[in-house]
Amino acid sequence: MPIDYLPILIMLLVAIVMAVVSLAMPHMLGPKIFNKAKQETIESGKLNYGDARRRVPVQYYMVAMLFILFDVEVLFLYPYAVLFWDLKWFGLVQAGIFVLLLVESYVYVWKKGVLNWE
Amino acid sequence: MPFEIPFVQIVWWAMTACAIGGAIGVVSSNNLFHSALFLVLSLFGVAGYYVLLSAGFLAVVQLMVYIGAIVILVLFAIMFSRRMMKPTEDEMNRQWLVSVIVAAALFSWLIVVVNSVSWPVTSAAPTADTVLQLGLAFLGSYLIPFLVVGVLLSAALIGAIFLAREKVEAEEI
Amino acid sequence: MDALRLLTPEITITIFAFAIISLDIAWNDENKSRRILPWLAFAGGLATLLMIFYIWPHVDQYNYTAATDAGREVPMLAVDRMSLFFKMIAVLTVILVGLSAGEYVEKHTPFRGEFYGLMLLAGLSIMLLVSSTNLIMIYLALEFLSITSYILTGFLRRDARSIEAALKYFLYGALASGVMLYGFSLLYGATGSVDLATIAGSLETTQAGLVVAAVILMLAGFGFKIALVPFHQWSPDAYEGAPTPITAFLSVGPKAAGLAVLIRVMVVALPAFDVNWTPILSLVAIFTMSVGNLVALWQTNMKRMLAYSSIAQAGYMLVGLAAWSAAPPSAVAYLGGVDAIMLFLLAYMFTNLGVFAIAIILENQMGTSEIADYAGLIRRSPYLSVALLIFFLSLVGIPPTSGFIGKLFVFGAAVNQGLYVLALFGVFNSVISVAYYFGVLRNVFFEKGSDESPIRVGVAMNTVVTITVVMTLLIALYGQPFIQLAADSAQILAANF
Repeated sequence: MPIDYLPILIMLLVAIVMAVVSLAMPHMLGPKIFNKAKQETIESGKLNYGDARRRVPVQYYMVAMLFILFDVEVLFLYPYAVLFWDLKWFGLVQAGIFVLLLVESYVYVWKKGVLNWE
Repeated sequence: MPFEIPFVQIVWWAMTACAIGGAIGVVSSNNLFHSALFLVLSLFGVAGYYVLLSAGFLAVVQLMVYIGAIVILVLFAIMFSRRMMKPTEDEMNRQWLVSVIVAAALFSWLIVVVNSVSWPVTSAAPTADTVLQLGLAFLGSYLIPFLVVGVLLSAALIGAIFLAREKVEAEEI
Repeated sequence: MDALRLLTPEITITIFAFAIISLDIAWNDENKSRRILPWLAFAGGLATLLMIFYIWPHVDQYNYTAATDAGREVPMLAVDRMSLFFKMIAVLTVILVGLSAGEYVEKHTPFRGEFYGLMLLAGLSIMLLVSSTNLIMIYLALEFLSITSYILTGFLRRDARSIEAALKYFLYGALASGVMLYGFSLLYGATGSVDLATIAGSLETTQAGLVVAAVILMLAGFGFKIALVPFHQWSPDAYEGAPTPITAFLSVGPKAAGLAVLIRVMVVALPAFDVNWTPILSLVAIFTMSVGNLVALWQTNMKRMLAYSSIAQAGYMLVGLAAWSAAPPSAVAYLGGVDAIMLFLLAYMFTNLGVFAIAIILENQMGTSEIADYAGLIRRSPYLSVALLIFFLSLVGIPPTSGFIGKLFVFGAAVNQGLYVLALFGVFNSVISVAYYFGVLRNVFFEKGSDESPIRVGVAMNTVVTITVVMTLLIALYGQPFIQLAADSAQILAANF
């Protein structure tokens, strides 16, 4: 029932309020003093250099795409996992075929050197 | 529960505002980065619909795959590309008037059609255990589509990796 | 026959596709055995074709296949004569395109495994689409076909035009699928079912407006695949930019698939429904024929011209469906227009793939596909010139070629149902099409080319051209078996009612 999701809704509202308040409060209450040191980007104590928008290796996108596709695969397998014991061998064989098809593409990605980082 | 119906309706309106407002934001914002953020809002509204329709699993999928993976990838792609972060793209082109007329005509026609039909409503209670039912469907009636999805995902993965691979072969033109 | 045996063609082609990709992974780039990959694809096509012929005699009725699920069986795929006919078209297309792609692929890209593997998978997606009887299965198969088509269109990764073509195709396709899904959702909302037969049973006459809306929205998705006007804008760019063998594939495979699913939705889901589809279908057919033919007149690039020509050809096919829809409701089992479409499609497949085979040969040799470069072909290769003449005669519909028989049946079906204006438009358009086809032939036979060196034709290409020429003539000169085949394939569908 939708009503079962009430706690999630309440949590969502709390999260929104938290975010808005924690952004708005410093803006309204804090003193506004700007200087060079304060405007600098903080990077865990390391000094800045160059532009953040350099050309990014395509590997990042590849990994992201792999993640999306295997994410979808897991979501298709999840309902099967709930039924694992009920479906016995039939389910195992069918889900096995499903996984095998994706293993093929995984081996493709692997052997073609997509996962190798220079 | 006496307050349940109006409460659900309030949530429905809120989700509709998210879904449609987000979609309008996506197409009307001239900063691509803002468009992607509006897309998150729109997809979230749709996830809310799934919850209201008692399709909890779909709602989680919507959040995990669409917002958690796809839009995040889009956002990273935008942030990594120098030109895309500058809000210089004009959101209108020469054909905007024609598009508006066609879209408005299609919209009003569909409104008339949708209003003219008496939509059948089932009185059955929604299924409690949707994940279980989904699993039964995947490995029962929908076994063929389930396996086709496997082939499709595999083909899509091979194709996507093939197109995006950086390594250029010597023979390639 | 049990479900598993009815699906042997699909299973065979899937196994071959994955075998090709696996071998491509296993063999590194220097391995000489990689040369067999194209032949493995060819063998896969032939094996699939054999499987189709093997189950052909056993399929004498409407057969549903679905795994049993405690009485909640939902039909997914119909293995009937109609779907087998379209599967045959799909597999023949894959075989002929695969054969004619060999040299081109070798020249342009080292990725043979991916090319042939994905092409077999595209064939698989067509085979699934033409037997789908369920909205979910239709959508899944259509997306499968789209995704493989996008990848194959953009296969020449270093060629900006190829990538641009793929991107345009993709953006247009995503929009078309979205619109189509909205149509699906209207049908599902009105009936609570995704099964075509159940939808047919539970629609009420008060929902006529909704059904018209749903069909028009779905037509966006199917029409996108068939490249019907006004859903055709992607096709000239995609056809021009795509690798030429893939252009050949796109001009037949997805068109056949889209037509098959359109026919199935119209015939199974909305047969006795009290909506007159004839005006909608006729209008789309007239626009598709006219726009395709008129714009083709101005093309200077062979691939672009063939793109518009194949749009026009799809318009002729739609005339057959309009003729079917014009039959009185009492004669619901009448499928006169449908068998005409099938015959036309069979003729069109051989003819168009033949034209593309010649275009590929010339592109391999000359590096371009501009019509101006076809000048003086008669001196360089008399055989190809005559073959081109036969193919163009067939595309115009002049006897003694298969295109004539196809048009005779399609326009005949329209006249039979009293659609004289539609048939007249069809004939008028055929006359227009003479101009641009013969423009190419004038170049080939009467102009003087700058290059007079003879054209070298490989064994595989020669086979393709010969097969297509022979079939183009055979369907016209010895047509009875083919006419019978088309009639059988259509009639079996009707036997269900």
